[in-house]
Amino acid sequence: MRAAICGYSVAANQDHVIRITKALLPIILLLTRVAGQSPAPEEGIPVTDPLVIAKCGPCHAKDDRGNLERISWMRTTPEGWQEALRKTVLDGRLTIAPAEARAVVKSLSGSHGLAPEEAQPVAYYAERRIQEEGIDDDNPLTSCTKCHPAARPLSWRRSPKEWEQFVETHAKEYKFDLNPRTITALSKTTSLHTPEWTGWSARTARPDLSGRWLVTAHLHGGGKYTGELQVERGSAPDEFSTRIKLKSTKNGFEVVRTGQTVIFGGYQWRGRSRGVNPPNSPEDASNEARESLWFSPDLTRAEGRWFWGQYQEFGFNVELRRPSTGATLLAIDSQSLKIGSKSNAIRLIGDNFAAQVSPADLSFGPGVTVRRIVSGNATEIVVEVDVAANATPRKNDVSLHGSVLKGRLAIYDRVDYLKVTPESSLAAFGNANYQRGFGIFEAIGFQRGPDGKAHTADDLDLGPIDATWSMEVFYAVDSSGNDKIGKVSTAGLFTPAADNPGVNYDIWVIATAVKEFSKDARPLVGKGYVVVTVPEYTFNGRRYIRDLDRWIEEGTW
Amino acid sequence: MALAHHGLAVFDRTTPITLIGTVTEFHFTNPHCIIDFDVKAGNGRLQKWQGELTSPLHLKGWTATSLEAGNQVKITGYRAKSGAYYVWITRLVSSNGKEIRTNGDNLIPETP
Repeated sequence: MRAAICGYSVAANQDHVIRITKALLPIILLLTRVAGQSPAPEEGIPVTDPLVIAKCGPCHAKDDRGNLERISWMRTTPEGWQEALRKTVLDGRLTIAPAEARAVVKSLSGSHGLAPEEAQPVAYYAERRIQEEGIDDDNPLTSCTKCHPAARPLSWRRSPKEWEQFVETHAKEYKFDLNPRTITALSKTTSLHTPEWTGWSARTARPDLSGRWLVTAHLHGGGKYTGELQVERGSAPDEFSTRIKLKSTKNGFEVVRTGQTVIFGGYQWRGRSRGVNPPNSPEDASNEARESLWFSPDLTRAEGRWFWGQYQEFGFNVELRRPSTGATLLAIDSQSLKIGSKSNAIRLIGDNFAAQVSPADLSFGPGVTVRRIVSGNATEIVVEVDVAANATPRKNDVSLHGSVLKGRLAIYDRVDYLKVTPESSLAAFGNANYQRGFGIFEAIGFQRGPDGKAHTADDLDLGPIDATWSMEVFYAVDSSGNDKIGKVSTAGLFTPAADNPGVNYDIWVIATAVKEFSKDARPLVGKGYVVVTVPEYTFNGRRYIRDLDRWIEEGTW
Repeated sequence: MALAHHGLAVFDRTTPITLIGTVTEFHFTNPHCIIDFDVKAGNGRLQKWQGELTSPLHLKGWTATSLEAGNQVKITGYRAKSGAYYVWITRLVSSNGKEIRTNGDNLIPETP
């Protein structure tokens, strides 16, 4: 199941995947080129928190420089410290009260955490995204990705000696062949001391995230939302309460959510919220969600995901920004316009729009002309635009009084193919002990780019296309048995069957375009691959259960 | 990786088949790539087949456009026992020059 868990296809947001993949690429390439070198000794990072010293010091000896054995030679995310602490407790090596454990994780996430630049490439792990990591068999991290995503080791920073000790212990405990290239590669690319950490750790200011934030969000399967978030200070300087009001750009549906959050290390938001009204369905935007956001080093913007579900299959992609003194464009309701079309109504949604807006204040990029302003207020402007018959297919920026949405409007002349997102994914049968894992899909239209080929990087993303949904089971002669595996709704939600058949099934989730056709007049079709898996299985007399991103033996941690 | 979520038991490995057809779509995706291809049956009717390859991670030098609609392919492999138009590919030769061969026990391509 290695790559089935770790190497599945893309996150819901195409731009997010491209950004993450580009950020990870240097690390992945460097890991494939590193030659063997001996690890060198390195200065530790002292631990000064009295609670951490009290709870960890009995086993992690303190030296005269204030370093705690092993701990001072590693840094990681809040999730990394939480896992390390949990393992220590489950192994019987530590007794600690829950409040103390939380305090220790919070402390170490700050004093021995990651700089924002280090955390961002692996933020998808905390955000529980299905992420394509591209770790092939030549990569030194292959031995890691047999059991979990590469993001897990890449979320840590250690000295070379500490990497060597950790990998050797890990290989012995989990019974895999030790690859010396792994130690060398990790020592070079995820080292303890970095310029980014030196710069970040020198900043001591606590974050004040209280106040008003503007929100843009995309609910996979549910479309775009905009709104505002109010953050109020909590009982501790790094704890806050939240209230967010979101409005769908598609149908005006509103959802209000309230919650709590903790800021780790000065920029890592880890929260929990729920809708003020109870949810009506598994995909309802009011479901209780965990939240993971990454704040930029200047703390003026944030991005991340709020997620829920058996394997966190549902979620909002979220962006926050501070209001400005001028107009802020947050979203437009159309993602694409056809070349030669006229009198297209477009809604611009944002904040602090001027009372009077003229066509000259707006730009929709080359080939698009504002015909007239239909209506306007402080948060919404409706315009009519024409697209020239000789416009070039491309992604245009949209701007209003200096506020720019980059590349948000695709100008196109035809839809060449559909892509179902996610392209490959999991779902899970449930049973008495485990809830079902669903699949939620979108059909995205694309036009071939200048290279003339489909499925290449220059293709034009046209946004969601209206489609009908169906499913096809692999190896099945006909569809008569489909109900025993599951159903796909008209909204693209795959629901596994209520009865667990005890085996995995591979299926296609199929989108058939309502209004887009191929050259031979057949509706365009896109397919997403889904493995509908069992929640637990027995192998060689031992039972395994799915725990988030991996299988674990039942009864172990 | 394909073996991890379904084994070879669903395929008839006693009788390899060979098909000649036209690619209609190539899914370059995890957990394993899939080729949709049309085969003209003896009675002239088109059969819509799907062929299973390995993960993109094992297809060195392949991309999402390594096979395209219209490519002619000769595919050898094991058919699904259910009788579905589905084949586990052990050898593929395409009109665009792409070729792949596995040892039949898994999907990992042999190094030429």
